[in-house]
Amino acid sequence: MTAANAVRVDRLSFRYPGSALTLNDVSFSIASGEIVGLVGPSGAGKSTLLQHLNGLLPTRLSESETNTWIDDIPVTRASLPDVRRRVGFLFQDPDDQLFCPTVFEDVAFGPLNLNLPDDEVRRRVQESLLAVGLSGYESRSTMRLSLGERKRVCLAGVFACQPSILALDEPFSSLDPRARRTLIGILKKFPGSQIVATHDLDVVVELCHRVLLLDGGQLRASGLTNDILGNAALMERHGLEVPLRLQPR
Amino acid sequence: MSDYLDRFGRDQSTCHRWPPLVKLYVAMGLILAATCAPITHGPLLGLIACAIFFVHSLARIPLAFVARRLFFFWPPLFLMALSLPLSQGCRAGWLMSATIICRGTLSFTTALWLVNVMPFDQLLATLRRLRLPSVFLAILALMYRFLFVLWDELDRMRTARQVRLFRKPSLWEQWQQGAQMLGRLLIRALDRADRVHGAMMARGWQGETRWLEQRQKDQR
Amino acid sequence: MHIQDGVLSPAVCMATGALSLSAVAYSLHRLKESVGDRTIPLTGMMAALVFAGQMVNFPIGAPVSGHLLGGVLATTVVGPWAGCIAMTLVLFVQWALFSDGGLFAFGANVLHMAVIGAWGGHAVRLLVQRFVGDSHKGIVVGSVVSAWCSVMAAAALFCFEFRLSWPAGEIDFSKVFAWMVSFHSLIGVGEALITGVAISFVLNQRPELICRAGTSVRLLHKGDLLPETGKSSGPTVATSITRTLAAGLVIALAIAAFLSPFASSFDDGLEAVLSKLNITEFNLTPSVPGLFEDYDKVPVPLASWQAIAVSIAGIGGTLAVFGLALLLGKALPSGTAAMTSEVAGE
Repeated sequence: MTAANAVRVDRLSFRYPGSALTLNDVSFSIASGEIVGLVGPSGAGKSTLLQHLNGLLPTRLSESETNTWIDDIPVTRASLPDVRRRVGFLFQDPDDQLFCPTVFEDVAFGPLNLNLPDDEVRRRVQESLLAVGLSGYESRSTMRLSLGERKRVCLAGVFACQPSILALDEPFSSLDPRARRTLIGILKKFPGSQIVATHDLDVVVELCHRVLLLDGGQLRASGLTNDILGNAALMERHGLEVPLRLQPR
Repeated sequence: MSDYLDRFGRDQSTCHRWPPLVKLYVAMGLILAATCAPITHGPLLGLIACAIFFVHSLARIPLAFVARRLFFFWPPLFLMALSLPLSQGCRAGWLMSATIICRGTLSFTTALWLVNVMPFDQLLATLRRLRLPSVFLAILALMYRFLFVLWDELDRMRTARQVRLFRKPSLWEQWQQGAQMLGRLLIRALDRADRVHGAMMARGWQGETRWLEQRQKDQR
Repeated sequence: MHIQDGVLSPAVCMATGALSLSAVAYSLHRLKESVGDRTIPLTGMMAALVFAGQMVNFPIGAPVSGHLLGGVLATTVVGPWAGCIAMTLVLFVQWALFSDGGLFAFGANVLHMAVIGAWGGHAVRLLVQRFVGDSHKGIVVGSVVSAWCSVMAAAALFCFEFRLSWPAGEIDFSKVFAWMVSFHSLIGVGEALITGVAISFVLNQRPELICRAGTSVRLLHKGDLLPETGKSSGPTVATSITRTLAAGLVIALAIAAFLSPFASSFDDGLEAVLSKLNITEFNLTPSVPGLFEDYDKVPVPLASWQAIAVSIAGIGGTLAVFGLALLLGKALPSGTAAMTSEVAGE
């Protein structure tokens, strides 16, 4: 947490085999404690960028060279366990992330992989469920939860690893207003840095200090939230629109 | 869907409160007795049937439910069993066929009881306690979890096909569409497997799965 | 297809159980060896897929419908070891959720559907691919043929187990076998059709998902580098011999399925072996007093019905499967060959 830059990405390019360049020369950094919104049209490369922060595209990793640093640690094959402990990743579809039959097992999955003692694991499960407001859900089946609850359990699973950085991929998609509101409240309380990829620009205005605008794999703009999202011409050019609360009345 | 499956799994009857291993042994004992008892020993079979009925009523599983399940279970069993005398020109094999039907029915109802007093997560925990290989159990837990996800996906695909179907498809078309639906589901499932793998790695998984029992006091 | 408890004798259940236990244990061992930590989610998902896929109904006549068994489908996608585990889990969950298939007959079910389906199916498919080629066409033709062979082999094995389970005396087993073989021939054609269409669909849409011939885990996915994953060594001589043996065994069993109704001498031979080994008493049912002894002289027209039925089922089924294989193989666009060669370049 002492590192100046929680995340630093320098001239990152990436291509899936047999497809066009998904990320093209992307550079940015996130200060510790900062909440950054990642916006852009569908297929802009937002998810791919987030996955890089967690080293989730492993064959792309070399032993020593990298374009990505987490808390000033280079993301390489050797540093992966360390990096993954620092970056908590929330997937878009909670069904991808909730892969254990019960809530307890799922939240305990991360701490168990950290080889923590059993009592510590239990304590962390309780704490993280408390943080997302789902205490007492331990023995519930992960299949019998609403979408909002599933997202929160996912988040509890992420919290249980005590990350310093959250990478959130479309955390608000298909949530009803109340679930969305709850989630925003939880995220606001999180002490570390966050990078939030979303189409929900109103949340970005409310939650994020800064915004990165990604389109066609390239970083088109970055700056303070209101400057970027309030720029009607820029937003239109990249298939977005100025959120309601920033529109002049 | 999952509610439909272990309908009575979450009830709280006497049977449900038995320790999981006891349930397992009771069921195994009953099935063993049912499959070994000779058909000619009527009273013995009756005794076994009574015992099965007794545990069913202890677990408060409604008879109508058992009857409905039997209704779907019997046709294939009868087909198998009756093929014996039928293939002999109805001259022999009746006793054998009766044996098969009798044993099959008794063991099926016993298994039905076990399934309904033992929710799947409890079964999974029991298997863990029995020290089955952890890779096997990890795969089993994943399978059970995503069963329902894939089921829902299949349901949506089926509905999507139904709403665009303006005539009755021919038999060949139904087969073709069904198999293609399977193919599509397969593609989606494999893509999901990749995402799940990513999610597991993101939380520090490196190929070994550790389990931790939830404390007894945490359980309902 | 499921065998319920009570159909097979306890001794046979134990024997098949031991066989499948060792087969599953070996699969697990090989699976652990090949991890590739993606194997675990992949196998779990494949098992869930086969289970869910069995809910798709394929209508036959008004009330009757069939469904996928899935052994060959699983093995084509994830390889024989993971396929065997996946099918075992499918059978287990079917028992644990629906009480489908017996507890003591579980071993027999695993042997028929998981071991023969995955191991046998894989071996037969590779054998076919050796003749047709490792192209997409080869994969489809191979999976169609192996789906059919695996069902017939399972049927033959079931006949054998069934014969061992019950005392002779009373009934003429060859007629029971005729009945079962004809029935399974239908199931086999259905299985071949479903598997073939599903696999050719996937090959058309996302060819990289189907496992390469000879590898036991799927090595390619969207984010992988091609050169890095293409390095797995080709099959060694030893494994290729084992595979040929396995394929031969399954094909022999499939053929035996059609011969079994005719082979009354086999029946006698088996009886002789059993009495020599002094294990006839394992049958727990008392042999039934011969009520029907006078009737063993079957009228002539009836005597040959099973021969005719089996011949029709056998020839018809075989023709149908090979026709199907050709049809599906032809329907594949030839343009996909480029992808295959890229993937297959060792």
